Amino acid sequence: MSKGTVVLAYSGGLDTSCILVWLKEEGYDVITYLANIGQEEDFDAAKKKAESLGAKKVFIEDLRAEFVEEFIWPSVQANAIYEDRYLLGTSVARPCIARRQVQIARQQGAQFVSHGATGKGNDQVRFELTCYAMYPEVKIIAPWRIPEFYNRFRGRKDLMEYAEKHGIPVPVTPKAPWSMDCCEVAMRLDGWPRLTGSICIHTGVPVKVINVKDGQSKDTPLGIFSYLNEIGGRHGVGRIDIVENRFIGMKSRGIYETPGGTILYHAHLDIETFTMDREVRRIKQGLGIKFSEMVYNGFWYSPECDFVRHCIDKSQENVEGKVQLSVFKGQVYILGRESPRSLYNEELVSMDVQGDYDPCDASGFIKINAVRLREHHRLQGEASSNR
Amino acid sequence: MSKGTVVLAYSGGLDTSCILVWLKEEGYDVITYLANIGQEEDFDAAKKKAESLGAKKVFIEDLRAEFVEEFIWPSVQANAIYEDRYLLGTSVARPCIARRQVQIARQQGAQFVSHGATGKGNDQVRFELTCYAMYPEVKIIAPWRIPEFYNRFRGRKDLMEYAEKHGIPVPVTPKAPWSMDANLMHISYESGILENPKNHAPVNLYLMTKNPEDTCESPDVLEIHFTKGVPVKVINVKDGQSKDTPLGIFSYLNEIGGRHGVGRIDIVENRFIGMKSRGIYETPGGTILYHAHLDIETFTMDREVRRIKQGLGIKFSEMVYNGFWYSPECDFVRHCIDKSQENVEGKVQLSVFKGQVYILGRESPRSLYNEELVSMDVQGDYDPCDASGFIKINAVRLREHHRLQGEASSNR
Repeated sequence: MSKGTVVLAYSGGLDTSCILVWLKEEGYDVITYLANIGQEEDFDAAKKKAESLGAKKVFIEDLRAEFVEEFIWPSVQANAIYEDRYLLGTSVARPCIARRQVQIARQQGAQFVSHGATGKGNDQVRFELTCYAMYPEVKIIAPWRIPEFYNRFRGRKDLMEYAEKHGIPVPVTPKAPWSMDCCEVAMRLDGWPRLTGSICIHTGVPVKVINVKDGQSKDTPLGIFSYLNEIGGRHGVGRIDIVENRFIGMKSRGIYETPGGTILYHAHLDIETFTMDREVRRIKQGLGIKFSEMVYNGFWYSPECDFVRHCIDKSQENVEGKVQLSVFKGQVYILGRESPRSLYNEELVSMDVQGDYDPCDASGFIKINAVRLREHHRLQGEASSNR
Repeated sequence: MSKGTVVLAYSGGLDTSCILVWLKEEGYDVITYLANIGQEEDFDAAKKKAESLGAKKVFIEDLRAEFVEEFIWPSVQANAIYEDRYLLGTSVARPCIARRQVQIARQQGAQFVSHGATGKGNDQVRFELTCYAMYPEVKIIAPWRIPEFYNRFRGRKDLMEYAEKHGIPVPVTPKAPWSMDANLMHISYESGILENPKNHAPVNLYLMTKNPEDTCESPDVLEIHFTKGVPVKVINVKDGQSKDTPLGIFSYLNEIGGRHGVGRIDIVENRFIGMKSRGIYETPGGTILYHAHLDIETFTMDREVRRIKQGLGIKFSEMVYNGFWYSPECDFVRHCIDKSQENVEGKVQLSVFKGQVYILGRESPRSLYNEELVSMDVQGDYDPCDASGFIKINAVRLREHHRLQGEASSNR
């Protein structure tokens, strides 16, 4: 008697292949689901592997376009960055992946979903909060939090043995002495001359990218983002080595390479400050930090994140224009920008013409700002004597 | 009859030389004050020039060490950055300069201070708010806001004519088609051809950093030691050179950063005065420290303290940018930030190469990092089942929301 149907987020790797077989052992009917979100993967081989291991159904879903448009683009609008360094590449992918997993589970009448995320990480939280937000009755099987499972499979060796015993093809190449997630981008620093390009932005998202030298251009979200990855990768852009604070509570060390995302981060910051009111920007900056924490912690699908995304989207109404930048040896350089919606007034700021500006007004502005400071000095002494 | 004594912030340049003479014309006794905050300047020549132009007294003050220790170091602790890009090189210098100007004014019994900052900029605000905060009775003469002055001197040509008429030595080399402000922390470039935000900066603009195309093909690897959030030592891992004084450390980081083209930005920013302006900045040493400090701080600081402190750092940056270094609120925030840095201690190794800073690793006796706890290879003092409860409790609110109001967002 089947215990029910479970939709397993299946990567094709050793862990989730063992989990597939183990779930069947435990009496479940297993549907595997593999999302293509841009990782380098032989999807056909993974499909065949899942079928050979006894999956009742196999879903391979190409989510790349929606990943860019519905998850990466809002993050660009938000200037999303966690703890001042991490551009959230894994964090924004999880709700995208889990959303489709839940849709499949509902369509297939599955009461269970399962994943291979570890018990110490952020990803388990990100997957599961998305599932509960969208399918509140779902039951989640997280093998790496089940003592019977994690005590049985204490390390890679145990998984390999289990795999051999159950006819799961094992990888022949030795595993790297670290774990990796998502797209792998080859980076080399030699030989490439500085590259200059333009990015056209509308309502805060890129709509076109042009290579100024060879004239190549892209104008679909996936096309733009992939091209920026290619350029960024070629020039070694977007590498960080950090220690971060996990939502689970401990610190962890991670190294990330986010080539296209890094280029967009700089380009968007530039066009945004060019076109946005100063005080709107201040408020929006605070919202962007909150947004980043919510996304990092797994709350993409939550009322508060929905609210903040709405506010951020509103702020982007006039974030439109063209940014010229160059990419060279690991760095992004903004060269210039133009916009039909900019709030920049060359005459007003110019040192060569007065423009619509009376310098005497600045005297009053300064005196009024000084009222409080002068009173403080008079009544309580200097704000700080030695510092 | 003298109208009184004025202490003029004197740069040795055309503007403030004309202002010096004009102030005398207006009937003031002028004391000139030139702060050495790390800009390249012939201070002796400037002294002689001021004297030859009739300054009653000339003060040349070397403020470099206090600039680093009392202004740059607190900014490092704060991760100070304005609008996500600008490391505040000019902003942090103004209170340092103005503080000494006010001290001199008080000592010399001067009722007036004067400066050459323009009427459209942030610097006039930064100088004057510092002056009023420290010397509330002071009277400030800002020629570029006085119609009789700015209508008389409408451009460089008018200043040059006045200079020639009054025996002020004029510069022989033509002025660059932009303005610069330089100090130990950065050089800023604005105005002139840079006023069109679409224009690219000329390749030969930069003076403090080399073009990345021309920098050497091998990185410099540095180890920076921090105590209470400020650098106390820097070691060049390859050649063993080390520095352990604030000024020595900062100057060395400028040298390394400059050598590798680090710290260049081209931005449009929001001035306190209300308009947007385009500026280019090169902040080599400050950029290296920004990255190194961020790293050791997150390694040693509690997550929630960091969140609060991050918000304070943004406020601090805005206050400093706007000219409120000497204010009760900035004093308060600096105190809080300083408190947060108690355990920000350790060593960061990094490499500097072709315009970029790369963190390589870090260690600290005060770190909150627990290798066993986070490890994928040992369980450590952690029960994975706890995570199930944690997730379920976090999900209560989301599941209730779905039940009562539907999915938070259907299409997005």
